Amino acid sequence: MLLKYKINSPLKRLIGLLSLGVILISLPFLIRSPYYLHLVIMACINIVLAMTFSLMFSAGLITLGAAAFWAIGAYASTVLVMNLGISFWLALPFAGMIAGIFAFAFGLIIVRTPGFIFVMETFVINMMVVHAFGHITQLGGWGGICGIPRPGAITIPFIYQITFATKIPYYYLILLILLMTVIVFYALHSSRIGTAWRSIKLNPGLAQTLGINLFRYRVMVFTIASAFAGLTGSFYAHYYETIEPETFIIFKSLYIQIYGILGGLNFYILGPTIGASIMTFAPEFLRITQEYEPIYTGSMLILLAIILPGGILSIPERISALSRQNKVKKVKQ
Amino acid sequence: MTTQLFIQLLVNGLASGMIYVMAASGLILVLGVARIFNFAHGEFYMLGAYGVFAASILLNLNFTLSLVLSMVIVGGFAALCYGTTFHYIRGQLLQCAAASVGWSMLIKQVALLAFGTKERGIPSVFRGLIKIGDITLSKERLMVIPLCIIVMCGLYVFLMKTKTGKAMRAVRLDSEAASLQGIDVTRMYLVAMVMGCTLAGIAGGIIAPIFSVVPAMGHDMLTLVLLIIILGGAESELGAVVGGIVIGLFLSFGYFFFGGLTEVITFASVGAILIFRPGGLFGSVVEV
Repeated sequence: MLLKYKINSPLKRLIGLLSLGVILISLPFLIRSPYYLHLVIMACINIVLAMTFSLMFSAGLITLGAAAFWAIGAYASTVLVMNLGISFWLALPFAGMIAGIFAFAFGLIIVRTPGFIFVMETFVINMMVVHAFGHITQLGGWGGICGIPRPGAITIPFIYQITFATKIPYYYLILLILLMTVIVFYALHSSRIGTAWRSIKLNPGLAQTLGINLFRYRVMVFTIASAFAGLTGSFYAHYYETIEPETFIIFKSLYIQIYGILGGLNFYILGPTIGASIMTFAPEFLRITQEYEPIYTGSMLILLAIILPGGILSIPERISALSRQNKVKKVKQ
Repeated sequence: MTTQLFIQLLVNGLASGMIYVMAASGLILVLGVARIFNFAHGEFYMLGAYGVFAASILLNLNFTLSLVLSMVIVGGFAALCYGTTFHYIRGQLLQCAAASVGWSMLIKQVALLAFGTKERGIPSVFRGLIKIGDITLSKERLMVIPLCIIVMCGLYVFLMKTKTGKAMRAVRLDSEAASLQGIDVTRMYLVAMVMGCTLAGIAGGIIAPIFSVVPAMGHDMLTLVLLIIILGGAESELGAVVGGIVIGLFLSFGYFFFGGLTEVITFASVGAILIFRPGGLFGSVVEV
């Protein structure tokens, strides 16, 4: 499902992946402007978030609360680093784990009612998390937390020391996180677990008769997806050096949903990548003002839902299906 | 805590609770009959409030007329939304969620551009205070309760007694069987959508003279409505009535005792109830 198009030969595939890797690694030297590099970093964050949405959709769960676990990760990492004095490199995995634990606790309660009630519950969880962070004065209240320390310098023996002074090390870090997410999600999708998730999405009742524990698999997908959102949250907090509850409002979760749908939800890796990239770069390049952006996005979402629910990547499939229909018609005539 | 304070909190809680009941039962109607998962419900509430504002301030109509006008506007807009969008994607969770979120963004931003972020107010309709013994209550808040009860009774009579109402209930039970009995199912979907959204619009219109009207009000309402449906269950209006009143009272007393953390405590309490009854108080767990 990674690439539905015919890339049969492993050599071609290897060459493709290698060239992609070279492009990604040399990207900061190709675009020298820090502004564009910032956009690329934001796109990478959004891609990971969209992938968590997509992962949950693969098990038939639609979440409108992805930003909540992003927030939990960001705040957890901030508290760990600023109040407990732990290094960022330890706080990063811990933030993911804490978000995962929260998701596990919430998941135990809410995954028993899939469908619309689940969507509503994730929506409410997002509101709750934002309100909780906004009202707890120890966490900065609505004003948020400023001055989050940058990640500590890491020394690679015999080469040189990497300090997080410019945007370039951040880019490589998020690229690493993205790569890890892709590998983990791809492995999950190709394993028995992924098959079980897809079978739950296709027909929960049938899956249950085949011995798949719906509850366990749903909690699992919710926890894993949220843990990765939390991991990204940790990176986000230390990249922006300031966090406030307003960043994590339900609007962000809605955008995450758009990233997933725009690219195509049946393409677990490529779909979110394309969707999130378009949604990150397009408003900047088209110079859409903040005022009118929700109007464009909203209309696009409505059109997408009606005309192209499979996302951009489903276009070739749709075209081939249409041409097949035409052929059948011609034969009949 | 004095009796005075208790009664005031009770009336405030009941008044806002009744508003929630109306908005939530509207969404349950849309959900149950038309199977449209509408995340733009809060925006219809906001539109209702702005409709009353526009009619009473800009057109100088009295409150009853502006409420009727605002109902017509909201109902017409709901019909437009149904005709252009929801008719084609009815019953599909992902598409409905996406399209309604799109509508919600669109409506909210247009309202923001048209009316600005400024808080708009409407002169209150029922002015003055009521004194019972040594308890003073503001009339406008008290009047919300009978108004809402009248609307809800009207809804009950409509659903139980009229032919259209019975047809809608039949569609809610089983749309295929209903269409076999000669019920125009598509028309019922449209009626349910218009009625549900109009209920939210009326709620917004009634609340407009009491609270200030801002574009963000729809979003706050949506969260509460969803919370009420989670608490009460998505299957019947009874859940909305009980959930709405409970949440209204809880928030009213909660703000007095806990201040800003009330909402978090409310969310957590609803979560605790969900542990024991996953489908809500009056709902059941259904695999969709």
